[in-house]
Amino acid sequence: MAKKTYDLLFKLLLIGDSGVGKTCVLFRFSDDAFNTTFISTIGIDFKIKTVELQGKKIKLQIWDTAGQERFHTITTSYYRGAMGIMLVYDITNAKSFENISKWLRNIDEHANEDVERMLLGNKCDMEEKRVVPKAKGEQIAREHGIRFFETSAKANINIEKAFLTLAEDILRKTPVKEPNSENVDISSGGGVTGWKSKCCS
Amino acid sequence: MDQSVAVQDSLKEDENCIVAAQCQFFVNDVIESRLVSLVECKSEYGIFLFTHRRMAITKDDISLDKVVPITKDCTIEEVLSEFPVLGADMTVRITSDSVFLELQLPFSSHSQRFLDETCKACHGVDMSEDPCPQFLWLSKYLPKSALASDSEKKGAFIPTAAFKGIETEASDNKRKTGTATVNGKSQVSEETKQNIQNISDNNAVRDGKVKPEVNNDMVRSSSYTVANKAQMLAMPQFELRDNLIKCELLKREESYTFTKNYRFFVGTYNVNGQSPKESLLPWLKGGIEPPDIYLVGFQELDLSKEAFIFSDTPKEQEWSKAVYEGLHPESKYAMIKVIRLVGIMLLFYVKKELAEYISAIEAEYVGTGIMGRMGNKGAVGIRFNFHNSSLCIVNCHLAAHTEEYERRNQDFRDICSRLTFRSFDPVLPNLPIMKHETVLWFGDLNYRISDVDVEQVKKLIDERDFKTLYKYDQLKKQMEEKAVFDGFTEGELTFQPTYKYDTGSDQWDTSEKCRTPAWCDRILWKGKSVKQLQYSSHLSLKTSDHKPVSSIFEIGIKVVNEELYKKTFEEIVRSLDKMENECIPSVSLSEREFYFKDVKYMQRQVQTFTIYNDGQVPCQFQFIQKLEEPAYCKPWLTAQPCKGFVAQGAKLEIELEVFVNKTTATKLTSQEEKLEDILILHLERGKDYFVPISGNYLPSCFGSSLQALCYMREPIQDMPPEHIQQFTLMPLHPQTEPSNTLEKQLDIPKEVWMLVEHLYRNACHQADLFQQPGLRTEFEEIRDCLDTGMPDSLPGSNHSVAEALLLFLDALPEPVICYSHYHKSLDSSGSYTQCKQAISTLPQCHKNVFNYLMAFLRELLKYFMFNNLDRSTLASIFGSLLLRPPPGIKQDATQKKKVQEFIEHFISKQEDVS
Repeated sequence: MAKKTYDLLFKLLLIGDSGVGKTCVLFRFSDDAFNTTFISTIGIDFKIKTVELQGKKIKLQIWDTAGQERFHTITTSYYRGAMGIMLVYDITNAKSFENISKWLRNIDEHANEDVERMLLGNKCDMEEKRVVPKAKGEQIAREHGIRFFETSAKANINIEKAFLTLAEDILRKTPVKEPNSENVDISSGGGVTGWKSKCCS
Repeated sequence: MDQSVAVQDSLKEDENCIVAAQCQFFVNDVIESRLVSLVECKSEYGIFLFTHRRMAITKDDISLDKVVPITKDCTIEEVLSEFPVLGADMTVRITSDSVFLELQLPFSSHSQRFLDETCKACHGVDMSEDPCPQFLWLSKYLPKSALASDSEKKGAFIPTAAFKGIETEASDNKRKTGTATVNGKSQVSEETKQNIQNISDNNAVRDGKVKPEVNNDMVRSSSYTVANKAQMLAMPQFELRDNLIKCELLKREESYTFTKNYRFFVGTYNVNGQSPKESLLPWLKGGIEPPDIYLVGFQELDLSKEAFIFSDTPKEQEWSKAVYEGLHPESKYAMIKVIRLVGIMLLFYVKKELAEYISAIEAEYVGTGIMGRMGNKGAVGIRFNFHNSSLCIVNCHLAAHTEEYERRNQDFRDICSRLTFRSFDPVLPNLPIMKHETVLWFGDLNYRISDVDVEQVKKLIDERDFKTLYKYDQLKKQMEEKAVFDGFTEGELTFQPTYKYDTGSDQWDTSEKCRTPAWCDRILWKGKSVKQLQYSSHLSLKTSDHKPVSSIFEIGIKVVNEELYKKTFEEIVRSLDKMENECIPSVSLSEREFYFKDVKYMQRQVQTFTIYNDGQVPCQFQFIQKLEEPAYCKPWLTAQPCKGFVAQGAKLEIELEVFVNKTTATKLTSQEEKLEDILILHLERGKDYFVPISGNYLPSCFGSSLQALCYMREPIQDMPPEHIQQFTLMPLHPQTEPSNTLEKQLDIPKEVWMLVEHLYRNACHQADLFQQPGLRTEFEEIRDCLDTGMPDSLPGSNHSVAEALLLFLDALPEPVICYSHYHKSLDSSGSYTQCKQAISTLPQCHKNVFNYLMAFLRELLKYFMFNNLDRSTLASIFGSLLLRPPPGIKQDATQKKKVQEFIEHFISKQEDVS
């Protein structure tokens, strides 16, 4: 019962144009809920969620940023320190997709060099209003060597998967110290030797 | 009670007690009360520890005991107890290169604030780019002795070096200065200069007159910028969360465990120093069903002196082997642990397939023999967790001899208090025997049958009337009196006494002593889900003068259902996440965006909004700097208060004030800058809110250049914005008009003309002209008049118009005598001719304005009888405005005098200079 309750803290950041659904993506992941009323984020918000990956408990601290153009200069100063950045566009909004390269440049300029990036095409439940084909998203992701998911915060498609994948990618390049394995002390009496006990908690 | 007042009282003017709290402090193992406080001076921090009277109100109630500068190597941490209890005292540990302090603070908001503020200060030091804080201000508090010991430390602690330098000032300085003169060389003298500098700084601090530090003085907001917020959020409360989860898991244990019965075999055998001679199977088999766990205890394993003196004995191996061979043949067993104290040995076997569920095994022993310590008597114990249940097994050999039952009781108590196990978690205290869910205690307890003669005993045994015989059992009597084994249970004795037999037989002791038979060897238990299935002795074993005793128990063990455990764990984590998210400070703002309409020069505009704490925790807010900006907002804006505290459900009003003065007006008029800013309202450990501020500035002649105004034939606010921009951004022409100008330049700005003309017409007789202040409201009317229209006369009193003229000259981005002419002009102040020469090289419009003003002043002086003006007054007033030193250059008294002289030349002569 003496296991640590979490081993790592990852900081993730959500960026992208205003109205693409960053806050909803976060709300779906953290509270498993969806709110249809749009309230523009004017500032920086964050939530935490603890997940388990490869037997490690990882606390994700996810920052949600204001997407409005006029705040871009300010929000870029929050990039520093983020270990993963989710760049979100709206598949029903061509402009939000066109801006992707600008956002990627922003990341290059302001984020840590080794930050793990991911592209999300949100609102994929609204197929009838789609203006950005999935292939285009895939293509730009491929060009930049980053992962891509189409998601829907509303229909809960790929949200958890996206976050877990991003966390896994970060975990993969995080050097982890092996925790001391708790072995049962076995004396070499007349008994059987050579087995180990799992840590029981 | 807030005792920071008393601390503040004891400090110097520039030092600020941020928080003070009462605490307990360990001095030579004695707890003493101290007042601990965090003191700030020029963005450096120190922890001050005071001895104090019970209610400290003034500085006389406290006396400084210790000072710890918060340096980069200083850490402040809260030492958390194993299970945090809300409302418990907190322990704060302060460590640095040379200090180790542990303070106990009572649970209170002061304590919490102390911890928060101190951590913040500490963090601030870590973050700061400054090479190293100097802590000059602290030196006066530090005793010489402390410094001496500090300075012996390695060079890492730089502030100490600084102290040292100051402390040794008196003697060192002279000597070093002396050396410097002799050597005349740089190295030493530089150092000395440095020292002198330090000392004078230090003296300045003492006098309460601090030279402002250029780099920090400009900074309006103190500690956080957006960028280092990242680090702040990264400070995790790992331990707290861990403990919360542990507590919660423990509370909900029933939801993810179920009870499963396991079969335990417990055996005890006093072997009287013999080696095994026969199979132990009859004793150890324990019935048809193989036991899951074997706990086998021996006493008097080896009675030789060697065993007593040297801990090694071949008997351990022999008996272990005999036991292993005597275990139930239908199951495979693994030995988990063996522990032995001289002749007392305990073996722990478990079915091979169950071994993985055994954890946290610890073994200990306690001697209670001669001198209360030696190992001929005493106990050995093993504690372990089996699945989710904790068990403790004790095998003991208590004091011998019939009459010594009190001694045996004492041994029991000794073992209980002295036999403790290292805790699995190093921060927890040792585990005593009784803290386990199940305790199995057995061995040669040595309690005898007394108060009855030996023949009667043997008769009762022959009759197998153990019930009657049991009445004479010392252990029974002692347990009834609660003198020993309180809370333990023993099964009914259905077997004859196990002591003392002639070795190798079933015959009672036939030796001279002819001891009364006794139930020396016993097995007891404590715990809820223990059921004894069998309790017996084994007569067939004849190796010793004791018979072995065994018992089979069925013990309910809490087994974890992995799936349910995982579910419970996840639920807890989820609820903690939820709690943590809910505890992120949060506020709502009554307004999110502000527009300041028609902002005018030197006219305050205020808007307010309300911060409402709609979160579940109190919050500390602050407007923070944006990256690479010197302050949290533009110079024309202020927020009042710019930091503060809002309790849950409470509200706070923030005032936003826009005020454009001469430093900001010029660029706003030229449209190089706009009334646009975004404030970042930062909640500590929480969200950031962006508050966009915007507005429009009405251009004004105040803050515009003479040249630009000369181009404007219309009032400035009637001009198209692009023209205003064009004229204001135009470089200053040295002498002549550029050929490409669209419109002809005015000789002097019409605004100057209007102001001067008004005064000339109306104010020559005005008493105390230029010496009496005007009215703010009238100034505003005059300004509007100049900026929007060209009336015949200006509103307001003569004094207000006079002041408007001075304000106009003061707001000029380039003074009438240009900055470039400043030094030249001062140099020529001795000679009127040279002064005129200096003026003649001014740009045309500046020259015009100068001459115009001088003529006006000369005119004014004619009426000195009425207006009480004299030459030197006017020269000094106008000199300071017309002949201003360039930015960054300070004017000394001589220079001021020269300025006055310069102007006086012009106003005393009647001729024109052009």
